[in-house]
Amino acid sequence: MNPKQLYKLLLFVLLIPILSSCFEVIEEISMKNDGTGDVVLTINLSQSKTKVASVMLLDSVQGYKVPSRQKIQQELNEAVAYLKKSEGISNVKSSSDFNNYIATISFSFKDVSNINNITKNILAQQKIKATNTSSYSYNKSTKTFSRKYQAVSTAKTEFNKLKAKDKAVFNGATYTSIYRFESPVTSSTNPASNVSKSKKAVMLKSSIMDLINGKINVSNTIQLSK
Amino acid sequence: MKKILIAISLFLSFNLAKAQDLVKKIPSNAFTVATIKGDNVFKLMFVKDFNESFVGKKLLTETSKSLDKNFTSIEDFGINLEKNMYYFNQLSDSITYNCFLIPIKDARKFESLIENKEKKFTQQGDIRTMVLPDSTSIIKWNNNMLYFVTGSIRGSFFADSVKSAKYGIKDIRFQSEQTLIDSVAIDSAVGVTAEPMVETVEAPVIEKAKVQKKSTVKKNTKKTVASKKSGKKKNAKKVKDEPLEIIYPEGTSDSTGMTPAHGQVDEQYDVYQKELAEQDLKKKRLAFTWMTVQADQIFNGTYESIETNKSYTASLDNKAIAELWVSSLQDVYNSIAPEFGTYGKAGLMKGYGSLNAKLFMDNKSFRISTGLEMAQEQADAYKKIMNRKLNKKFLNYVNSEKALGFMSYSIDTKAYLEEFPKLLKQTYGSFLGAKMDEEIDLGTELFSLLLDEEAVSKVIKGDALFVINGLKTKEVTYTTYEYDDDYKQKEVTKTKNETLPDFLFMFSSEDHRLIDKLIKYGIHKNMVTVENNIYKIQEKKSPIDIYFMIKDGIVFFGNSLSEMQSISNNQYNSKISKLHKDLLSKNNFSFLFNAKNLVGKVPDSEIGGAETAKKFNSTLEKMGNVYMKSNPIKGRLVSADISAEIPNGHENALKYLFSLIENAAK
Repeated sequence: MNPKQLYKLLLFVLLIPILSSCFEVIEEISMKNDGTGDVVLTINLSQSKTKVASVMLLDSVQGYKVPSRQKIQQELNEAVAYLKKSEGISNVKSSSDFNNYIATISFSFKDVSNINNITKNILAQQKIKATNTSSYSYNKSTKTFSRKYQAVSTAKTEFNKLKAKDKAVFNGATYTSIYRFESPVTSSTNPASNVSKSKKAVMLKSSIMDLINGKINVSNTIQLSK
Repeated sequence: MKKILIAISLFLSFNLAKAQDLVKKIPSNAFTVATIKGDNVFKLMFVKDFNESFVGKKLLTETSKSLDKNFTSIEDFGINLEKNMYYFNQLSDSITYNCFLIPIKDARKFESLIENKEKKFTQQGDIRTMVLPDSTSIIKWNNNMLYFVTGSIRGSFFADSVKSAKYGIKDIRFQSEQTLIDSVAIDSAVGVTAEPMVETVEAPVIEKAKVQKKSTVKKNTKKTVASKKSGKKKNAKKVKDEPLEIIYPEGTSDSTGMTPAHGQVDEQYDVYQKELAEQDLKKKRLAFTWMTVQADQIFNGTYESIETNKSYTASLDNKAIAELWVSSLQDVYNSIAPEFGTYGKAGLMKGYGSLNAKLFMDNKSFRISTGLEMAQEQADAYKKIMNRKLNKKFLNYVNSEKALGFMSYSIDTKAYLEEFPKLLKQTYGSFLGAKMDEEIDLGTELFSLLLDEEAVSKVIKGDALFVINGLKTKEVTYTTYEYDDDYKQKEVTKTKNETLPDFLFMFSSEDHRLIDKLIKYGIHKNMVTVENNIYKIQEKKSPIDIYFMIKDGIVFFGNSLSEMQSISNNQYNSKISKLHKDLLSKNNFSFLFNAKNLVGKVPDSEIGGAETAKKFNSTLEKMGNVYMKSNPIKGRLVSADISAEIPNGHENALKYLFSLIENAAK
């Protein structure tokens, strides 16, 4: 047995208790009263870093090819390049931490609707079909921020086609969205959302499984005081 | 038909015994012989117990239902449960026979099983014969035994027109209209000249049909044919290699746009289909004739039995529940080789003889023992390679009370390096053909020249042990976020526990100067750090820490610093059980997995929730030790065993198996 084989055997042993992992997806939008704002998207795999690090050393796991660090970085760069070209988007930055497995992309927008098709297009670029339709809008005159979200039913069907051990990857994964405003929030329609003490932020936390299964809808209409 | 199938499958599911009975009926040229030993089976479980078991009850009620009878015991099937039941096959270039020999205790009971309104069996003396409806199988029996044979004609044989002509069979393949216009039409489809075949064609019907088609076809298609020739040809070629149905009508008309001739083409295809059916029928009839002769031979003929085959008799074991013997891997390969084309001639399996497998069940475990006979030269090479025992000091580093499993091997590195090129040459030499002989020789010489086998074998002696001495919980930090009153994000570092296996890998090294140099180099390059003779590999990408050290001629690798330290201070707490000790010290290769030591050790959250964890643990609890080992080479026989222990509280492995089936069915 050569050292490389031994090492692979080791990793395999490490991975035995199935690939269930925890990761966080966080979306933050800070809105200014004039309709401009900033977005920070974060994906944090830090809680599963041992497993991720092990997986990264393998060529493939459970039949999926494991992308190399370079490949991930390259895709992140592509996403940044795409954003820079997008209408109304500026100040695009990205960061990646391969010790803790955290990646972020941040940018500013002229109007919140500028970001509507971005996620979808980025996913499409990576040949991933978007699993939901989501759109944001902000009405300056009424000071109403709204997010319309429709889970695509095929997402659930596609997901159910996955093997149980592949589904397990999503156990414990969470999605958090935070919207910040300059004016206080007077109402937030989504019952799962919470308004901060300062009344200037709304947060919604959900498990990714619930999102996929359509158990939770992240649509929301937030009214700011005039 | 259904009843007969049920009857047969019943026989297959059990069986029967003493080596001296039906084995005499197996011809010495049998290729594969499989045995189920009734007496050994029913020693583990009385017939009465079987009848009362879940599986037994299910079988009896289902059979009773489908045969509209009332069976209360498997003895009602008329089989002699105390004797051996055999399966064997015989191969020839033209037909393969699959045969079953089943001892009969009460022929009348058996007959009542297959009896129905159209009782079709014939009787000659005390021999009864029954032909299955589609004539693909024959059952023959008397008061002591039952013989079931089914034969299948080998396609490759009848692809040879000279051989098939002898039996009045033509090899039919679909062809373009060109050949159809030709008066010998379909006969020539293979591309072989049709002349020798024409006279042997028996069925006049086929000739007639052909003549009729010929005239009609000719008239309507001549024009189209000429113009669409090229397209057609392509299609016809493709057709040759593929199964028939798919190919024809649309494909051709589409690609050639040959609408006017469409009808003609269909007709042509019909003729082809009809021809094909005719020829298949002929093959079937021929197979049936051959089977009848073969079955008569088994019942009435005198011939040398398989008992005269030393390889077969040597493979037997009184205690086995079931046995399988295949005469020769080399022969298996050669027999299927023609189908592999050029590669088939290479004789890749050269040097490999008979193969056998035996299943044992007793009050402790299931065991499968497999053996492979090799050519003397090869066996000698392996003997030299296997001439090493595991370093006894390794045993000091196994803790049987905690160990989840281990894997060990020991070979003589020097012998391996010396024999390896020879073995390679033997296997691949024939594959590459005589042309490459010189190059291979050159390569093997070069290999020996470049490597100092002696020196290498001192650095890596050839024995190694990988052991997982339990699981360890390790605190790891991770980054997450907290939100203040304003939902402002704050990055925080939290800790959580992760369960990781503690592994230890060791190999013997007499001469570690090279390793020392490597370590020195590593330290110099900051890839390795050292503390109290324990080295740590500085590899950021690695999810686990890896330590290593050299002590008493052993190189250790492991992920637990405390384990390394205790080895270094001679304080390692080893408690090796006898089973583990025997497995490791007596065999060249061993593998063991002890599921029980894993039960409840992995936190639920890491398995994917409490429910999954429960299932996971209960499965593990039901498993005993599972292990594998190689046996010493005896004569020319290389063998290995796989065993699975049964948990306490079960009388024997067979009963345990039955209880597993019952649980699974619930």
